[in-house]
Amino acid sequence: MQTLAFWILFLAGVGAFAAQVATRVRLIAAAPNTFSTTDLPFRINRFLVDVVLQRQTIRERPAAGLMHAFVFWGFVAFAGYTSVEFLRGLGVVDLTHTSWFEAYRLALVPFASAVLLGIVYLLIRRAFVRPIALGPKVSLESVVIALFIATLMTTFLLTFRLEEDTTAERVNWWTHMLVILAFMALIPASKHFHLVLSPITVFLKSPELGNLPNLDFEKEQVGLETVKDLGSKMRLDAFTCVECGRCQVNCPAWGAGKELNPKAIILQTQDALLAGTIDTKLGEVYSEKVLWQCTTCGACENQCPVGIEHLPILIGSRRGLVSNGEAPEYLGAMYLNLERRSNIWGLGYDQRTKFVQAAQLEIFDPVKHDVLVWLGCAGSFDADFQKSLRSLFSILRAKQVKFGVLAKERCNGDPAKRTGNEYMFQELANGNIEDLKTAGVKKIVTSCPHCVKTIGADYAKFGYRVEITHSSVFVEELLRSEPSLAAARDTVTFHDPCYLGRYAGKTDEPRALLTRFGAEIREPVRNRDNPYCCGAGGGLLFADKEEEPGSRISDVRFKQLQDTGAGTVVTACPFCSIMLKGAQASAGAETQFVDLMTFVDGRLQPRA
Amino acid sequence: MILVIAEQRGGKLNRATWETVAGAQQLAGVTNAPIAILVPGASAGTVAGELASAQVKEVVTVESPALEPYTPDGFTAAFAAAIEQLSPAHVVLPHTYQTRDFAPKLAARLDRALVTDVTAVKSVAGDAAFVRPMFQGKLTADVVPQGAGPHFVTFQIGAYRVDQAAKGAAAAPIRALTVNVDAAAIREKPEAPFQQAKQAVDLSQAERIVSVGRGIKEQANIEVAQKLAAALGAEIAASRPICDAGWLPMERQVGSSGQTVAPKLYLALGISGAIQHLVGMKGSNTVVAINKDPDAPIFEIADYGIVGDLFEIVPAIIEAVKG
Repeated sequence: MQTLAFWILFLAGVGAFAAQVATRVRLIAAAPNTFSTTDLPFRINRFLVDVVLQRQTIRERPAAGLMHAFVFWGFVAFAGYTSVEFLRGLGVVDLTHTSWFEAYRLALVPFASAVLLGIVYLLIRRAFVRPIALGPKVSLESVVIALFIATLMTTFLLTFRLEEDTTAERVNWWTHMLVILAFMALIPASKHFHLVLSPITVFLKSPELGNLPNLDFEKEQVGLETVKDLGSKMRLDAFTCVECGRCQVNCPAWGAGKELNPKAIILQTQDALLAGTIDTKLGEVYSEKVLWQCTTCGACENQCPVGIEHLPILIGSRRGLVSNGEAPEYLGAMYLNLERRSNIWGLGYDQRTKFVQAAQLEIFDPVKHDVLVWLGCAGSFDADFQKSLRSLFSILRAKQVKFGVLAKERCNGDPAKRTGNEYMFQELANGNIEDLKTAGVKKIVTSCPHCVKTIGADYAKFGYRVEITHSSVFVEELLRSEPSLAAARDTVTFHDPCYLGRYAGKTDEPRALLTRFGAEIREPVRNRDNPYCCGAGGGLLFADKEEEPGSRISDVRFKQLQDTGAGTVVTACPFCSIMLKGAQASAGAETQFVDLMTFVDGRLQPRA
Repeated sequence: MILVIAEQRGGKLNRATWETVAGAQQLAGVTNAPIAILVPGASAGTVAGELASAQVKEVVTVESPALEPYTPDGFTAAFAAAIEQLSPAHVVLPHTYQTRDFAPKLAARLDRALVTDVTAVKSVAGDAAFVRPMFQGKLTADVVPQGAGPHFVTFQIGAYRVDQAAKGAAAAPIRALTVNVDAAAIREKPEAPFQQAKQAVDLSQAERIVSVGRGIKEQANIEVAQKLAAALGAEIAASRPICDAGWLPMERQVGSSGQTVAPKLYLALGISGAIQHLVGMKGSNTVVAINKDPDAPIFEIADYGIVGDLFEIVPAIIEAVKG
């Protein structure tokens, strides 16, 4: 009788689960396939570290993350126990009286205690502490799920106290099993579906942050226009979201009071998919305005614990808008500059030539030179940043590095790529690749982190591979044998550029240089591989208000750097420098700015 | 005969027409031909009266419904007919957007040479040669149009000054010319002219600009710059921080996100020269920078740089300009 009743309830629970899962699987299967499993060793390693060891969950929120890890490890440990009890309940086989099961049950006791501790902690955090990342309302469903988990553990622990086949024991067993079945029926439509999907999503997440495969114009690809264009990985992402809000609280646009909230982007994707409105324009699903507020700093994607990639959705949607001529006005002017003069400022290349001559640079020759220095748009035209480059040249010359520059450069295409103007990006990229190949370049050094990402990672998608290093990394290695200055003479703060600290993961090298040459570093909030953006990325350098509302991102970041109390800010990216100096001027502050290369060169010279 | 085609809208003459008259007079100095001015449009009368004060042989009005509102088909047809009646040796026009729209079509219709964006007229072996920039102004070419006349010439805006146009002792005679244009041949149906959101201050037309940056220190000091601007007959402008602080209105901001300007004289007071500012004023003819920081990037593009305290230098300049 009990077995029959259990069978009915089992089929109802599993059926409800399967039906809901099937809807989502169908939506994913109908999408253009964007799944990829390249670089398996990296993916396996990340799976072990981020899923099994829960690094990404613990890293940003150590206490809550560890409690989550307790619950996660408990779930895994209980898999065998739950299976055995189901087999028994369904009358298939009763393994509960084997000696190994007894041992297994005993081994589960510490896990159950840890899960109980974890879930109570998380329940209190969610219901009473209520961090902003979890949203304005307490989710009733989350409370129910937490109570379910607490019940599962309590009923498990009670089995040690109750005699078999007593009424109390039966009630306890039934409670345990029914909670599991209810849990199954509940999770696919809730954020708890992540416990099924997130291991898959983490595994399928691109090894490259902000991975944007080239559009194939031969196949008339124009980017994401409507809901039906969303790729399979994007759809998987939408159903995996656990709504933890790490993307939200780390987003510089959200932090500056703008409308963009990366978590909302993912949840809106989920809603649009489930609503089945496949012909709705993405500009309406997310609002066009919001799509243009992203600096492409990568914080959302990099902090996500469940493998979601926000940038392909945000930039993919921008591509769709640009293809339909719906880019904001300030980008139109920049695109025109790129089209006419191949640089973002719209200046004539005679100015770059003047700088190349004035700085006595040689035109690259693979026989004579070891490395090519890539100047970039800022290095070619911005008199302020050219001071930084002169410092770099002085260091390279002091260490007898043989270097040259190209006779002519185009913009690497980053501002076009990140704003979704793929056609222009490919034009610029192909031209540059051609020139770099012709010049026989094998190794590039540049002071622009955006050039590192674009020439290093995006050009590789055309099959062009070249070693490109940021000047901070190159110079750090070059000067490793230099004696360090004994005492710290300068108190500085260092602003990690997103495309250096986060994208390239180079956080130690600039700091090593600073400390070696006499700086004491005061770290700002948001540093190293999770810096707060200066506001320049994703084309927003050209948006005066960084496209409203709220504050400018650059003003928020400048304040954070000011709050370190260090009177000097060291930068390592021309665009960070432009933005933060602008913020400083607007604030009327006395803060000094020094470029990393200038800082090093100034302290190297006297001893040379 | 040299035929000047005037440009007017709703009875208001485009000032560039006077510049073209000056250009035509220079051309007449080479070819010794008389000058006639053709005024097209529905209400050509008042404009014709204004132009009659120029030192020219006559002013001809062409009033036709085909000319109002402006369409390239209507203008081409009307001018082709007028040119046939008047048979000029040269047809000269101001290099405005409207001219750029119809003049190539008109020249092609008549299968005649068109020399655009001309900045001066020379005599080369007795022939009129037209000087025009090439390769974005890096070179200039002397162009002598070949083949049968009339030859079409458009003059760059600002190449001649309005006050260079010589006035006649007495008003030139005005006569009306009748041309027939088949209204059915006009294919364009123009909508009302697009009016860009009107900026209260149009710095792009300013000949002289005094621009202030952070170096001005406080709002009260803006007055110093305003006095200099008044003395020079210049517009006042600013870099982003000044407009951010509300010391000057946003519409006076110069830079990649503000207005793009190209005055004859740009005086930068206490502007460091962030690249976003520089791209907004790079087209200035002469840049004079005053800044106390000798390393300020503005000096990289300035034609004249003064390293020093603007509060000492500016009053001295005002004094010098007034004296």
